[in-house]
Amino acid sequence: MIYVLKRVLQLIPILFAITFLSFAMMRLAGSDVVEQKMLNTGQVVSDAQLELAKEELGLNHPFYIQYFRWLGNLIQGDMGVSYVSGKDVFETFKSKLPATILLTVTSILLTVLISIPLGVISAVFHNRLIDYIIRFFSFIGNSMPNFFVSLLLMYLLAIKLDWLPVISREVSAESIIMPTLTLAIAMSAKYLRQVRTTVLDELSKDYVVGAKARGVRFSATLIFSVLKATLVTIITLLALSIGSLLGGTAIVESIFMWDGVGKMAVDAITMRDYPIIQAYVMWMAIIYVLVNLITDISYRFLDPRIRLGDKKS
Amino acid sequence: MKKLVAMMLALTLTAATFIGCGSAKDKADERKESSQVGTKSFVFGDTTFNSENEEATIDPHDTYCGWACIRYGVGETLFKFNDNMELEPWVAESYENVDELTWKITLKDGVTFSNGKAVDAKIVKDCFEDLIAKHERAKGDLAIDTIEADGLELTIKTTTPKPTLINYLCDPYGCIIDVAEGNNNGIVVGTGPFVATELVTDDHLKLVKNDNYWDGDVKVDEVTVLTITDGDTLAMALQNGDIDAAYGMAYASYPLFSGDDFSFSSTATSRAFYLQMNYNSDVIKDDAVREAIALGIDKEGFVNTLLNGYGYVGQGAFPDSFPFGKGVNAKSYNPTKAKEILETAGWVDTNGDGIREKDGKPLTINWVSYPSRQELPLLAESAQSTLKEIGFDVKLNVTADHGTIVSEKTGWDVYAAAFVTAGIGDPMYFFSTHCLADSTKNRGGYSNATLEEMATEMNSTFDTDKRNELAIKMQQQIIDDDAFVFCSFLRMSMISKSNVTGLVAHACDYYELTADLDIK
Amino acid sequence: MKNKVKFQLSASFVILIIVCALFAKYICPYDPYEQDLSIAYQAPSMAHLMGTDAYGRDMLSRVIMGGQVSVLSTLALVAIISIFGTAVGVICGYFEGKIDFVVMRLSDLCLAFPGLVFALAVAAILGGGIVNAIIALALISWPKYSRLARGLTLSIKESSYIAAAKLAGDNAFQLIIRHIVPNIIGPIIVTATLDIGTMMMEIAGLSFLGLGAKPPVAEWGSMMSNGRSLLQTYPWVVLSPGIAIFTTVVIFNLFGDRVRDEFDKK
Repeated sequence: MIYVLKRVLQLIPILFAITFLSFAMMRLAGSDVVEQKMLNTGQVVSDAQLELAKEELGLNHPFYIQYFRWLGNLIQGDMGVSYVSGKDVFETFKSKLPATILLTVTSILLTVLISIPLGVISAVFHNRLIDYIIRFFSFIGNSMPNFFVSLLLMYLLAIKLDWLPVISREVSAESIIMPTLTLAIAMSAKYLRQVRTTVLDELSKDYVVGAKARGVRFSATLIFSVLKATLVTIITLLALSIGSLLGGTAIVESIFMWDGVGKMAVDAITMRDYPIIQAYVMWMAIIYVLVNLITDISYRFLDPRIRLGDKKS
Repeated sequence: MKKLVAMMLALTLTAATFIGCGSAKDKADERKESSQVGTKSFVFGDTTFNSENEEATIDPHDTYCGWACIRYGVGETLFKFNDNMELEPWVAESYENVDELTWKITLKDGVTFSNGKAVDAKIVKDCFEDLIAKHERAKGDLAIDTIEADGLELTIKTTTPKPTLINYLCDPYGCIIDVAEGNNNGIVVGTGPFVATELVTDDHLKLVKNDNYWDGDVKVDEVTVLTITDGDTLAMALQNGDIDAAYGMAYASYPLFSGDDFSFSSTATSRAFYLQMNYNSDVIKDDAVREAIALGIDKEGFVNTLLNGYGYVGQGAFPDSFPFGKGVNAKSYNPTKAKEILETAGWVDTNGDGIREKDGKPLTINWVSYPSRQELPLLAESAQSTLKEIGFDVKLNVTADHGTIVSEKTGWDVYAAAFVTAGIGDPMYFFSTHCLADSTKNRGGYSNATLEEMATEMNSTFDTDKRNELAIKMQQQIIDDDAFVFCSFLRMSMISKSNVTGLVAHACDYYELTADLDIK
Repeated sequence: MKNKVKFQLSASFVILIIVCALFAKYICPYDPYEQDLSIAYQAPSMAHLMGTDAYGRDMLSRVIMGGQVSVLSTLALVAIISIFGTAVGVICGYFEGKIDFVVMRLSDLCLAFPGLVFALAVAAILGGGIVNAIIALALISWPKYSRLARGLTLSIKESSYIAAAKLAGDNAFQLIIRHIVPNIIGPIIVTATLDIGTMMMEIAGLSFLGLGAKPPVAEWGSMMSNGRSLLQTYPWVVLSPGIAIFTTVVIFNLFGDRVRDEFDKK
């Protein structure tokens, strides 16, 4: 319990640093967002209108005042309003987060469903034809940028075969398939190799050989001992994939018009909508840090070696 | 044996993965059929209905949201433009210019809001007063002093002479809405054929038929307008049948819709793609350089190849289908002549690198533009290549941050941009915003005394023919000075499935969904 | 023996790619920036093996030129992060104490942001451009190397040969260069070669989102992004750079695997 408390306390300076960095980074950019957005519409604005708009957004104050204001507001749950839509940033973020979380969860599930069985098969049939085939596909999947995969899937499944809708405008079983597949293909390719390595390692251990000698059925050994032992590896993979997924969704969400925070961030970047970018960077970092914390803590309960050993092991 | 078990284990897990996908085909069919049964519903994909374009809602009194209000058939203005950008009655019947400062507008009898309320002068007055209280740009454009309402008669007095007041009232911000209904999450009540029921910014707008529509029967029962910012997704969505019609399709996707399954409605608009020269730059100040640039743009190639023919080669500031756009003569692509002019002016390639120099300075120009209009990056890359041929070294900076760059006096030479030059059907709009000494968008510091004189004359001219004539002279002046180069005009197209009728593209780009819209 | 052949084979492919990238200018059959609107959108033919794009530019030449940008910028990125990260890690591991604390907290901070999220933010601030994309990715990737190098340094610091070298009068700098770096370089090289493919895809990803290389610069990610809408009408404009990036990543990944096998053997 003391360990958990210690880890939670360690979180405070990190959270502080994240908020500071998120703010400072966005203010460094310093582009003239007001004029920018007015020009985008191809219409005329007078200097007076421009000044007025700037004042409304508080952009005419020096850096440190903007920062302290922002921090004060942040504590009260107010992250300002979007420069572009004029809507509350935190509300916007909150409304789009569930879609991203859903996509993340389905992708992880699919990854687990693909990478564990294929990884196990690959290990059990080590250096046999099926192992080579699986490794070949894993290699391919690992070498395709996800935007390329997205385009090919879209072309194939939505246009050529006409199975799925192109735009994921509402959350439904069919609209989540393509974005999930795209994300899961790349991750599965990577993780099935690690599952394979872990299982291979485990299979060569004495207890497996011993079990075989004792006449224990292989399937039982596989399911009850080997897979259990690989659980730590799998959890590590899941935690790692959260990090790459939270970022990776940005590209996939924008391609498939999945209305989550990733698409929101990419749109905000092209429009230089700093409050939105800020909220995105900050909350993604916080979520990531929290997920890592939970993973670290769960290790201690899963793996006695870590629980008993010191930190360096 | 052990292999078999491992195999089974793996297969079960893998199979579970695909359960969701199995029935996808049936669902796809269902999805398409459901839209056919019973009510007629229409799904429209639009790339521009988003907060980046300042169309976060459909409230015309807020930024550029009026565009959405009028396009999707919620609001209507007092008058509207025909394809020659001439005024026609709409909610109003007629107008009379009593004196320089006074306008009398007579409303149509029998126009009602979608909530059933009749439109009278009092309601219009309330609407305009709310507009100028909330909308800075409208307040400046209209210069309204007082409004009087009497039955169907509306009298507007302006603070300064406004020959184009009626035109300005046709800007989308002039949509007549019932302000007493307020603004319900961005949804307003107008007089148009459709009634908004649900709005999610940057995502979609749901509309239903206005049963009380004053001008005929509305044929479609439900409309969904989807914001699809990505042109590629838009194309696939139309092919796939997710949407019935699309606005803002990328040119490169046009060939996909050339078959019988789809139909196009296209029209010339006054959205010009033009170059603005920076007179603060030493290189550009040189008359020969500007002239060579004007001669070095392959307008035909740009329009015919890069825009797939969906555009019009520009001469003056307005398309020649407009009464004030005819008879302007601009330079056409002539690299040989451009080379001669540069040669005579002393720009010679002395070191053999293909780039001309004068007094040891290379002929380098910084070309600034932005990517949010798909034509501009194409124009930039095309110009870079054709100008290189002549001996220019063109440095491209196509960035969303263009505003900051061109607000500086130096650091840029040529600015390529898009602008709706005759948005309100009047030519003076472009000159007063771009070409005069005090214009806010005269970024390059261009000035010409003759032009200023003509502008003063224009401001006190109320006769339309006279104004058109002046406008043509003014265009010729800025083109002869090579202060602006008009490369092309947008040929705006809406593409729909062939069973959609009544979806017609308009020159002013304001009107899209009307009562005529139908699905056969 | 068989492994050695595999290693040599994949290494020669890698060298081939790097040579192509370095001498792209001389290999291109046409000028990759030369436009000719009269031959726009030509399908692959003997004259233009990969067809032409919207401006009538030869796709093969653009893909070769794009290789220069993509491959060289990826190699530069991996070189920067592995050298810088390792140097920082070795210094932290060797001296420990305050420097170590500060640098490790800094790396904690960089690692607190999920990879691409941080890169997106940096790209948003710096604006587009291939150099900025490299900076963004470098900022998020160096901690991996410094942590690895630090851990390795810590583990060999106490070994007897280091103690012996110390007794022989080597100063810290000599110790690091002569004894520590040569002993930890293996895993670093393996990590770096395995990273090349991933980094190449990330640079392309940023370019695809419009945050990396900008047109007309030939770069695979931005070429694909610009040609996206042509997938159905003129597929070669999208597929050529797509296949190029895929093949290159495959070759570098294969090479990375072989390098790892080589070091594992030792």
